[in-house]
Amino acid sequence: MFSQGGLSLEQAPPLSVVLRFFISASVFGLILGLFLLFSSLDFIPSTQYSFDLTIIHILALGVMASFMLGAMFQMLPVIAGVVIKMPTKKAMVAHILLTIGIFFQIGAFYSSTPLLYLLTAIVLGSGLLYVSILMLKNIIKIKDHSSSSKGMLFALSSFVIVITLGVVMLLSLGGYINSSSFSQIREAHYSFALFGWISLLIVSISFQVIEMFYVTPKYPTIMSKYLVITIFSLLGIKTIMLFSLLNSQIIDILISLLFIIYATITIHRLYKRRRPTSDATVWFWRLGMSLLIISMLIFILGDNIDIDYLGYITFIGFALSIVFAMVYKIVPFLVWFHLSNQGYMEAPMMHDVIHPQKAKIHFWLHLSIISLWIINILFSIPIIEIIANTLLTLSFGWLLYHLINAIKKYRYIQKNYDSIEW
Amino acid sequence: MKKIVLDARDMEYPLPLQLSLSHLQKMTLDEYLYMLHRKNPIPLIEIAKEKEYAYLTHNHNDIWHILICKNQNCNLEGLLDV
Repeated sequence: MFSQGGLSLEQAPPLSVVLRFFISASVFGLILGLFLLFSSLDFIPSTQYSFDLTIIHILALGVMASFMLGAMFQMLPVIAGVVIKMPTKKAMVAHILLTIGIFFQIGAFYSSTPLLYLLTAIVLGSGLLYVSILMLKNIIKIKDHSSSSKGMLFALSSFVIVITLGVVMLLSLGGYINSSSFSQIREAHYSFALFGWISLLIVSISFQVIEMFYVTPKYPTIMSKYLVITIFSLLGIKTIMLFSLLNSQIIDILISLLFIIYATITIHRLYKRRRPTSDATVWFWRLGMSLLIISMLIFILGDNIDIDYLGYITFIGFALSIVFAMVYKIVPFLVWFHLSNQGYMEAPMMHDVIHPQKAKIHFWLHLSIISLWIINILFSIPIIEIIANTLLTLSFGWLLYHLINAIKKYRYIQKNYDSIEW
Repeated sequence: MKKIVLDARDMEYPLPLQLSLSHLQKMTLDEYLYMLHRKNPIPLIEIAKEKEYAYLTHNHNDIWHILICKNQNCNLEGLLDV
């Protein structure tokens, strides 16, 4: 959406590259909501193990990875100066493999069929490795790194590790290989996924967008320079300790503390905006950072399974909050920018693409869902769970509707107005 | 030359780009955009370059002065106000 390195927005990929990922992320969000809703109504029989694995992976891959990869396709050229050649074709390949792979994976977790585990490993693994290595290869070539581009490098490296370990686990579950260190691999897999891929990507992007979008003071240099590499190194040390059968709790505590410091500074920066206006995307950022702090405190202090669940729920709340904040900034901007640059004088301004009020409604929906999930974990009230899952379905339905509407507005202008040469 | 002033120092991104592009699209040959920004707005400059507008960027006391004109022969250095 912007550039620090001398590249123009002209090199940003077509709108379809980004929106295909965002639309499919919202559809997976809808599927997740419906899946949870029908499960809470006892319509879907499952074991706790297959249920947990299914919802975690619909959320992590169907929703989060789709949103994040779409955003990366958009941001890499303009945030890091990375030009991905033929982005439409490459995004399509990655998107198709990712989508089909997730359905194979759901089938594999539910049926435990070896062939489905193998197909998931091949399709999902190749799709995700293809896109992440493609991006990584281009980022490595950057000569003059910004804190954001360097952060993206570590976030993507984490993703490659997550995928590789995931493939090993799938092959192991399918009985194709014998993995004696399955539990260590699993812990390394989700540590790199949560703290490396998801969190480090958000941290890296925030170094650029918080200051630019919200006119805040800069992050302290020590943080923008060293936080990402420190956390990535700690994750590496944790993995070595895991495989050496050493207790790595101290590393978890250190990582959590670093994220608490980061989130506190981000909230502080957002309060120091030069011209504070009422903006749902700021609310999403503040909520996300507050949930990150709570989640990390729980990881440090938690000592039983219910509290751990609370940690996961608040972490999911954090990640989704930031994703929503970014989507509500990126999509209206892209629709306006592409139309405007094509010479359509009638290009709708950002607030006409998705009105800020719609993002605010989504914010309250999102906040209600997280609050209800927390209440449900603490007090286990079935009706609360049903309401929360209904609202979750509604939340992604709401986003999907506005994304489709944005595309319709884009096409309407292109079809019904003449563009000017300027 | 008629000066179009845009003080974007306190504006949240992407408003500066939105407003400046809108000015550039409507600009006549005897007008120029004079923009103040806290950063060097590279995307805007790249667009001006591509559309073959004359442009000048100058940093003074940590404030960027950006001048853009549709008329390629316009003497932007002479219009710089620092």
